[in-house]
Amino acid sequence: MSKKTGTQPALHKVIMVGSGGVGKSALTLQFMYDEFIEDYEPTKADSYRKKVVLDGEEVQIDILDTAGQEDYAAIRDNYFRSGEGFLCVFSITEEESFQATQEFREQILRVKNGDNIPFLLVGNKGDLYDKRKISIAEAQARAQQWNVHYVETSAKTRENVDKVFYDLMREIRSRKIDDTKVSNGHGKEKSKIKRLKCCIL
Amino acid sequence: MATIRHSLQTEIFHPIDERLMTFVHVYELYKKKKTSNFLCLTVTKEAPIVFYIHQEEKGFDLHFDKVYKWIAVNLQERQTFLVILWKQCMNIMTGNKPEFRNLPKEWLMSYSNNVPISLKSENDVNNVGDNVVIVEPEEYQALSEKEETDLEKMMLDLGFISNNAEKFIEKLTNQLSILDGENLQSVLSSEQKVVELINQLNLAINEVANLEFQLDSYDEILGHVRTTIEKMEQKNVLIQIVNKNYDKLLLQLEKVVHQLELSPKYQTALTDADLTNPTGLKDAIAAAKELQAVMNAEIHPALVQLTAVQEQKKKFDKWKSKFSHILSRHLNNLFIHIGNDTSKLKLSGSDLILPVRSQFHKELSGYTPLMHWCKLMERKAYTALKKVYTSSLGKLYERDIKQFMEEAKYRIVARIEREQWSQDIDVDERTRFDQILEIVLSQLEPVCLSEQNFCISFFQLDVFSSSTKNTQTTLDGFGDENLHVPQKTIDKKVNEEVRRMMSEIFGCIELELLNFITYYEKLDSVYCMSALIHLSEHVMSAQDTDSFLSITFGSVLVHVKRSYDKYMQTQEKSIIESRIPRKSKCGILPFVSNFEEFANTAENIFKNTERKTDLDKWYVRLMSTIFETIQNIAAEHPKTPPEVIKMENFHHLYALLSQLKISVLDGHRKEVKQKYNEALNAYVTRYFGRPLEKLNLFFEGVQGKVAQGVKESEISYQMAFSKQELRRVIREYPAREVKKGLDHLYKKVDKHLCEEENLLQVVWRAMQEEFIQQYKSIEDLIQRCYPGSMICLEFSIEDILQFFSEIARSH
Repeated sequence: MSKKTGTQPALHKVIMVGSGGVGKSALTLQFMYDEFIEDYEPTKADSYRKKVVLDGEEVQIDILDTAGQEDYAAIRDNYFRSGEGFLCVFSITEEESFQATQEFREQILRVKNGDNIPFLLVGNKGDLYDKRKISIAEAQARAQQWNVHYVETSAKTRENVDKVFYDLMREIRSRKIDDTKVSNGHGKEKSKIKRLKCCIL
Repeated sequence: MATIRHSLQTEIFHPIDERLMTFVHVYELYKKKKTSNFLCLTVTKEAPIVFYIHQEEKGFDLHFDKVYKWIAVNLQERQTFLVILWKQCMNIMTGNKPEFRNLPKEWLMSYSNNVPISLKSENDVNNVGDNVVIVEPEEYQALSEKEETDLEKMMLDLGFISNNAEKFIEKLTNQLSILDGENLQSVLSSEQKVVELINQLNLAINEVANLEFQLDSYDEILGHVRTTIEKMEQKNVLIQIVNKNYDKLLLQLEKVVHQLELSPKYQTALTDADLTNPTGLKDAIAAAKELQAVMNAEIHPALVQLTAVQEQKKKFDKWKSKFSHILSRHLNNLFIHIGNDTSKLKLSGSDLILPVRSQFHKELSGYTPLMHWCKLMERKAYTALKKVYTSSLGKLYERDIKQFMEEAKYRIVARIEREQWSQDIDVDERTRFDQILEIVLSQLEPVCLSEQNFCISFFQLDVFSSSTKNTQTTLDGFGDENLHVPQKTIDKKVNEEVRRMMSEIFGCIELELLNFITYYEKLDSVYCMSALIHLSEHVMSAQDTDSFLSITFGSVLVHVKRSYDKYMQTQEKSIIESRIPRKSKCGILPFVSNFEEFANTAENIFKNTERKTDLDKWYVRLMSTIFETIQNIAAEHPKTPPEVIKMENFHHLYALLSQLKISVLDGHRKEVKQKYNEALNAYVTRYFGRPLEKLNLFFEGVQGKVAQGVKESEISYQMAFSKQELRRVIREYPAREVKKGLDHLYKKVDKHLCEEENLLQVVWRAMQEEFIQQYKSIEDLIQRCYPGSMICLEFSIEDILQFFSEIARSH
């Protein structure tokens, strides 16, 4: 009955980051199961996996949904390290959550050892535009500063939900292709990371 | 009443010479004492006549000068009294008549007709009471004017003066006696004439007697004539009846002869029937119809007894049997010929089609009237023909359907072979099977239906006859055997008959369908799910649930349902009996990951069908079995910790159920999430004792003592938990050792967890949290139990966080 599939499809590891209550889990559940749950229950950490077709190619996406509140930031180091791409989420109705993205960004860059990380700045709760605190311009300015894209989403209406995941997967994919080229050429540091990854597997 | 009257008259009025006219029984109104009185109206016996009203007690209102009030005891009496009073007043009084008030007119009217009797002869006068009225008696009439003048004239003629009355009377007497004498003489002289008159009268009487005698004789003669005429009339009526009967008899005979007449043209058409060409067939049908008509002529049962009729009937029978013999032989050959038609079906088209055998239906439909005739006129032949038809057609259809099924199988197989290298061979083959099964089922329907319709019309199955007679004819002389049978029974019998015939003709369908489905079930039991759905749909959508095909499909469905349940049982059994994986890393159990494919396949097949509940039942059962088996395997796996097996598998199941959204498993989804969380917590706490094991043990002991009632501040005086002891344990965990322990733990967790479920980060995060938690709780206990001892762990929170970061960076 159990059959072996020959080649495993490519696997892209995505980490959801952002302050508590901005809708990381909501975005994840909407993307995974097409459902929106109103009740808020703080996440500690949850792992999801889904097969999707990305530009005609079947791939697997691993999503690690993380806790917004963490007593010690260092706890995040490990899973940031395991991530290949990041959706950095804030709520457009909450100033603090927007400010917090700065810290997340810095920690990711520190842990990942570089600034060319697949990364999307995501302004969630787009459906609550009448409670907007962060203007699009403000968010875009920050994205530009980081040299990343800014997308506004609504986990409730599903607006742009697929887009942020797919966009991020594309970035991860192109980053991996670049890495292969580099490692085939001359990057010692990158090849070391790759080797280490293989060890985990 | 009469007695009262009598006693009043004799005792009261007679002595005073008065006569009682009427009386009324009254009360006086205003007197307290209700003594009854009689009010009497009397009249004096001599002139001058005087009326008295005596109050002899009893009363009512009578207004004289004074007002008297009386109440009458009896209304009738009162009326009579008042009316008589009124009458008397009217008759007697002149001038001022008393006024009568409130006296109803009807009384007066009715009274005027019948009253005066009592007044005529009486002239009594009396002198009692105040109210006296003087009147002249009623009988005393004045001389009329003419009499007066005649009297005066006569007296003048006689020259007498009225004062000499005596002479006048004498004179008058003389004259009267003279007149008497004259009168006597004239009487005597008329005697002769009287005798003559009497003779004449006698004569006349004789004449009349003669005349009467003559009239009598005439009358007698006339009497004779009447009886004769009456007799003649009777005879006439009888003659007419006889004539009418003759007419009727003639009519009947003509009718019988006419009705039982079969023209020679028809006779030859029957005896030398040629059914092979259209004209012959047409003639035969007409003749057969005619024969049926004459054999069922409307003839009175009594007439059937006639020898002529019986002879005719024999002739008819002869023709009938001759014709039915020809017909039977012909149709028999025809049926057998059809049954032996071994021509292959043309199934090579792009679509799989079971052709309807309409050609021979068309051929045979020409014989339909003759078959109907046969049913009525020669039941034995009809039954025999039906049998031959059934077996011949059965053979034909069996060949057709077998070939059709083979083709269906071939098409599925052919497709499989063509696509052998495709990855989705299973899915594709299933789709193909689905389509072909649907085609097979829907192709069988029109064929069956068309054959059924043909049989019904050809063998007239829808006309029910309760008669058991071979030939239906009125010439047997028996009454109509067709008893009244309720419509419902008829319908039921008709349906039964149709179904019986169909099941004989299409007996192979059930077998072939079963073979077909079983063949695929043996290849892969998943097929039974599709078969269940398709058959259910056909059975449920069938308009006529009693029809042969519905019943056939129904019984195949029962079989399929059985294999479906068996398939599900096998699934369940395979889960229960699944072997414990030998791998050191257990990972996701095969039946857990396979459930996804199973559920997807099943959902696809059962989507929006009526049979969904059949699947739901099994979902619940299978899911419960999966839960149980995960726990069993977790407990038995030699290498992987049970918490890990449970955690990973329940996590996987949770994701699966969230994705499948099977509503009947919603409860299981919640349950599985809870089980996952429990397993995660159990794993984290169980494996986390390791890096600081001795410290943990030490402080567990401390907590135990505290729980026993030892004061926290006095813990350090316990031998086992002295400051020295604490320092010794702490010394065993320098930062370096802790780092090593954490590294080791991380590696161990990494070794336990499978890559597939990707829970390393989740677990590690929980472990980091747990570690910090433990660190904090130890620090807290040191602060409380060893205050001021300046003892602390040899590593700080910052150290721990540093270790975490280092572990993160190390891979």
